[in-house]
Amino acid sequence: MTSASSAPFSGAPIVAENLVRHFGDVKAVNGINLTVNAGEIFGFLGPNGAGKSTVVRMLTTLLRPTSGKAMVAGFDVAKNPDDVRRRIGVALQDAAIDPLMTGTELLRLQAVLYGIPANKMKARANDLLERVGLTAAADRRVGTYSGGMRRRLDLALALIHQPTVLFLDEPTTGLDPMSRISLWEEVRRLNKEGTTVMLTTQYLEEADQLADRIAIIDQGNIVREGKPQDLKASVGFPTLLVTVPNDQLDRAKAVLAAFGDMRPTAEGTLGVGLRGGAEAVTDVVRKMDEASLRVQHLELNEPSLDDVFADATGHRLEGAKA
Amino acid sequence: MSVLAMSDHTEVTPHSFGLAVRQTVAMAKRSTLEIFRQPALVAPSMIFPIFFAALGASSFGKTTDLPGFPKVDSFLQFSIAATVVQGVLFGSVTGAAALATDIQNGFFDRLLLSPTTRTGILIGRLAGSAIFGALQAAFFIAVLWPFGGTIESGFIGIAIMVVSGGIVALAIGALMSSVAIRTGSAEAVQGAFPLLFVLLFFSSAFFPRETMTGAYRKIADFNPISHLVEGMRELVLSGYTTSALMKAILIPTAVCIASILFAQTELRRRLAAK
Repeated sequence: MTSASSAPFSGAPIVAENLVRHFGDVKAVNGINLTVNAGEIFGFLGPNGAGKSTVVRMLTTLLRPTSGKAMVAGFDVAKNPDDVRRRIGVALQDAAIDPLMTGTELLRLQAVLYGIPANKMKARANDLLERVGLTAAADRRVGTYSGGMRRRLDLALALIHQPTVLFLDEPTTGLDPMSRISLWEEVRRLNKEGTTVMLTTQYLEEADQLADRIAIIDQGNIVREGKPQDLKASVGFPTLLVTVPNDQLDRAKAVLAAFGDMRPTAEGTLGVGLRGGAEAVTDVVRKMDEASLRVQHLELNEPSLDDVFADATGHRLEGAKA
Repeated sequence: MSVLAMSDHTEVTPHSFGLAVRQTVAMAKRSTLEIFRQPALVAPSMIFPIFFAALGASSFGKTTDLPGFPKVDSFLQFSIAATVVQGVLFGSVTGAAALATDIQNGFFDRLLLSPTTRTGILIGRLAGSAIFGALQAAFFIAVLWPFGGTIESGFIGIAIMVVSGGIVALAIGALMSSVAIRTGSAEAVQGAFPLLFVLLFFSSAFFPRETMTGAYRKIADFNPISHLVEGMRELVLSGYTTSALMKAILIPTAVCIASILFAQTELRRRLAAK
């Protein structure tokens, strides 16, 4: 039996307006605005501690916003949390799954919690187990599952009630490359079937591969938002990375600065947004040679989301400094 | 591979009392299964009370002749009620520690993310402890019976003691769950456990109040465990009486209601702080 309020929702499934969350003096989220459109995979990209999970926890009713407003599937997360909960699926960061229960038992428990009628429960659980490739392991205790299997079960649990919006909080953190690709394929398939997906990640490749649109968050603020290709194009020139001996860094920087704006890079390496692209590399090498600089490594990279992140924040996503 | 079609809208089941009951029963089933899937966790609360009963019977056999001691066949018969209460107190911490583990590992968040009543989450978690407490009571009575632990009130008395064991487990489980909810730490729950032991020793569990003096006697007089144990002991030694029924059932029920309300308050506080 379904309620009258289960009619398809036609607006944007996720809308946040000036959403703020403070933990005492710590300002975890500083008034973010975002809209996720129906049928999108929306990537939320940022380093650890940027505020990604806090935003997801507010949107999924686990945390109350300090101020601001968020609507999910047409309902206010603060005023109608139960209506939100019945329409969203959530796979949290740590795949919190009871290790003493079997996959089948957990799916059936989840089905009861979401009010799935008993006559549909078995078929739904079996279909989901097959979908995520866990049929053979269905009656084994979860404690014996690998990390990838737990993530897949977590995803199946989030789908038991066929949610309108699916939240995936760092779904592939700690997974091996094969498990990661397998989970990406599943997310794409779900999205093709009409599920709106909001995905948080600290992996550039994941955001680039999966997301239709991306918001980059740093220190509780959204610093860039758009389609991955548009964001990358906004950075402009490719980045030329040059490694020279440490005692030549200052002189090399002076040479490179003539070819474009210096960009944040890992320590010991210099980066420049190379005006003229690949054709200008020969000139750079000649000038470096004329300055008696010993080039140890040279690499030209097309603009990446990391460049977008660096451009917006002044630091690289994965621990590099400006 | 079969494909479960993801519909363009979610199947939303409206709230009803029946659904809330189904949800609570499902969570109770989980908590019960968990207890029996961890034999290493359960065994001490089954073995140690029996060990203490055997030790008491061999060490304190002559104390039954002391003035103030009720008429008993043996010290073992006298200590049946204490064994049941002691075992149930031991065991009831298991459920609360499991709740703390749920909070620590995030499973509690999974439950909170579902459209389930918050009271149902709490009761469902504690139901396993209650069932385990009742089974423990039956186990202790069955094991001590052949060694002289006869129950004068017969089947009715046994049934009352078993039900009482379940209610005590629920009451203490709820109390310890408050610690779990406040701290979110299984270690804190285990750390609070010795307080139950102190409560047990400052009661008439091991010796009648008539043999006590001074402050110890006053504490035992006010200690609800004294009255609970004495109710069960009356069923063991004297047969069925209304007063025994009241003490064995009503006292733990009153504590149970108070401790569940306290645990609910703690849960509301925790959720409001989020």
